[in-house]
Amino acid sequence: MIATIPSASLLGVDGRPVTVEVHVSNGLPGFTVVGLPDAACRESRDRVRAALLSTGLTWPLRRVTVNLAPSGMRKGGPGLDLPIAIALLVAAGQLPALAVEALAFIGELGLDGSLRRVPGIVPLVDALHAPTVVVPAACVNEARLVGRHDVRSAQTLRELVDALSGTAPWPDAPDPPSPREPDPPPPDLADVRGQRVGRWALEVAAAGGHHLLFTGPPGAGKTLLAKRLPGLLPPLSQEEALETTRVHSAAGLDLSARGLVTRPPFRAPHHGASSVALVGGGSAWLRPGEISLSHNGVLFLDELGEFSPAVLDALRQPLEEGVVRVSRIKQSVTFPARFLLVAAMNPCPCGGDGGPSGCRCREQARLRYIRRVSGPLLDRFDMRVPVARADVDELLNGEPVESTAAVAPRVWAARALAADRGVRANAELPASRLDEVAPLTGGAWKVVEWHLKRGTLSARGLHRVRRVARTVADLAGAGLHVEEEHVCAALDLRVDLARLEAA
Amino acid sequence: MSEDAAAVAALAGLPYMAWDRLDRLLQTGPPLQVWEAVCRGAHGTALAHAARRTSVADVAAAHAAAGVAIRLRGSPEYPAQLAPDHEAPAVLFTVGSLDALERPRVAIVGTRRCTNYGRDVARELGRFLAEAGVCVLSGLALGIDGAAHEGALAGGAAPPVAVVGSGLDVVYPRRHARLWDRVAQAGALLSEAPVGARPEPWRFPARNRVLAALADVVVVVESHPTGGSMHTVRAAEERGVAVLAVPGPIRSRASAGTNLLLSQGCHPVCDGDDVLAALSLRHATALPPPGTLRLVEARTPPSDDHAAVLDAVEWTPTSLETVATRTGAPPPRASAALAWLEREGWVRREAGWWERC
Repeated sequence: MIATIPSASLLGVDGRPVTVEVHVSNGLPGFTVVGLPDAACRESRDRVRAALLSTGLTWPLRRVTVNLAPSGMRKGGPGLDLPIAIALLVAAGQLPALAVEALAFIGELGLDGSLRRVPGIVPLVDALHAPTVVVPAACVNEARLVGRHDVRSAQTLRELVDALSGTAPWPDAPDPPSPREPDPPPPDLADVRGQRVGRWALEVAAAGGHHLLFTGPPGAGKTLLAKRLPGLLPPLSQEEALETTRVHSAAGLDLSARGLVTRPPFRAPHHGASSVALVGGGSAWLRPGEISLSHNGVLFLDELGEFSPAVLDALRQPLEEGVVRVSRIKQSVTFPARFLLVAAMNPCPCGGDGGPSGCRCREQARLRYIRRVSGPLLDRFDMRVPVARADVDELLNGEPVESTAAVAPRVWAARALAADRGVRANAELPASRLDEVAPLTGGAWKVVEWHLKRGTLSARGLHRVRRVARTVADLAGAGLHVEEEHVCAALDLRVDLARLEAA
Repeated sequence: MSEDAAAVAALAGLPYMAWDRLDRLLQTGPPLQVWEAVCRGAHGTALAHAARRTSVADVAAAHAAAGVAIRLRGSPEYPAQLAPDHEAPAVLFTVGSLDALERPRVAIVGTRRCTNYGRDVARELGRFLAEAGVCVLSGLALGIDGAAHEGALAGGAAPPVAVVGSGLDVVYPRRHARLWDRVAQAGALLSEAPVGARPEPWRFPARNRVLAALADVVVVVESHPTGGSMHTVRAAEERGVAVLAVPGPIRSRASAGTNLLLSQGCHPVCDGDDVLAALSLRHATALPPPGTLRLVEARTPPSDDHAAVLDAVEWTPTSLETVATRTGAPPPRASAALAWLEREGWVRREAGWWERC
């Protein structure tokens, strides 16, 4: 007696189809799971047995072999409980084989027979070819996000068996995607008084997708500013939303209330984060890290100087390639990681460097602090903007400043211009196309030349400055040519940290 | 090299051998006997332990190899300018020629954590004094000291002399390795510490006293109220050496010490001539008629728009934020104006801060 049920298992952020085969034969009563199951998967036999018994079904006192095909691939997670239970019922003759034809199952079983939510429903369902998918009731909304399948659900194994055997109708799909509670509005730019330069830099970074580093004394408003960035970004396109949702689902974030991730995500890991927490990994289950959770959104690293140098250097490859490859001895996976990096740090431990009040740090302490962030990483920031403490007058009785609602349309318009050039944002413009899409006027060339000759601008720095200048020009509504003013602005947004890097 | 000199050098190289301790040891007998007594343990086991690991001959060879001269107090090679001082070191290690000390000597001292303003003033002052034939003394430290030496080397006429805290083969700070060599070649390096001595923190206040003892005038360019330069000032006051201070912005932390000195009656340095007057090389002049102090202006005068931006930049570091706020110009416009002013030499930028120059 044999039965096969299609299901899926998670590898990284991708689902892989898995066929659950159950064979019930005469022999000494026993239950074996083969096909490289991980610990959670191997334990499923105890859950399945308890769930069957507490549901009032019969546990076959015969020899049961469960094979998870393809048997060469490692399978993890508890999502295979339900397909194993169903295949067992079919193989033992308690359910007719016809009842499960063209159905795929995903779900974890409780000892009382309830069906529980599993992480990664979106990529799992996406990997299934069967026209109809049965998932725990808690996962229905998430499973429907894929949109290709007829999704059915049940609260308990009892309900499910009754529906399959035809003794009861399918339980109503619970709460059709409820009218979503509106997300709390993102923090508004109008809350930041003063900080003309900081607010403007934020606008440029959002419009051009440029990685941004704020430096400045404690309390100047670096964090306040950075948190306003996601509000300026345009909503995700359908494709981006699906990509991001898959990652969030695979990481086990609860999506049932929110449904599709439509706003750019904002992730702000604490500076104690480990390298694995940031780039992804783990031994039993390769989980996407913070940089993948901020895919198509913003990764904010506050107190950049406090992160461990090794953790920060792990960001360099994903920053270049937009994906991160996590390799372990038994498997390697690729996580998407195309994010806008925003970081904030003090220029030195006391935070007063260069300012009118001078710095109180010892030279050694200052250098040690700066060296924690490597030169190559600093170089990947297109924009390095000093944030000074706001003017007291502006802070207390300055005029109201532009709100997010006023700035965002300009950002979106600039993004649309970038889309016309065939890229998502100007930061992605290849160096070879800069002459074509961002030609400099004579005056602008003179500025650039002056800096190149003095050695205050490198050849690679020039490309980055030209990209930012293109964005500044787009925001200013300039035409094809990038003018002197835009280049000067871009140079001021890429503050030379030479003094910090000295020695 | 006499055996006595080598023995004193070996004694000076023992751990924590400050100048006063060395003096007391040398009062107990001739240097070689003192050395043997130390090796025997007559002055404690710690010293004996350290002394037994080295030999007088090795020390002599190390100094000869490094090209360092050992000058004992009381010998003819000892600089005559330092000998009468009541705290003159028992032994002085030197590289280069001490002829420069025959000239009038001005010590230019200040904080390592200086501002651009302080660095510029130190450099200009060093240059001006060297051109006027004055020997510039300093400590080769980061900040003001180094800038004063750079200026003096550029001025040329009189070679500079540096008094350092470490052994003369231990370059400290490392960043000044080139400057260190240039000063050694043009003028001289002096130290109380023998070859191989690390730049331990306690050596620097002692070094400052030698600086003060050698100088005819001490100029403090920028100093924090508790900075090392204040040691030099105190040592200079003990010896009746004139102390001058360069005024700075009252908001600048780096000028807090110098402004404090000024408020206590120290003479200000507003000009290189003020230092020469203190050396009695030039009579203090009455204030020149207004306008004559101005530099010959080679810079293109800014247009009205640019002038408004220039007015918003201070003589101390000013952020783009402040400039944008004061002029009301959108940041890109302010950036462009600042870039023009920078190219014309009206302002300069450093690590994101703008400053008049």
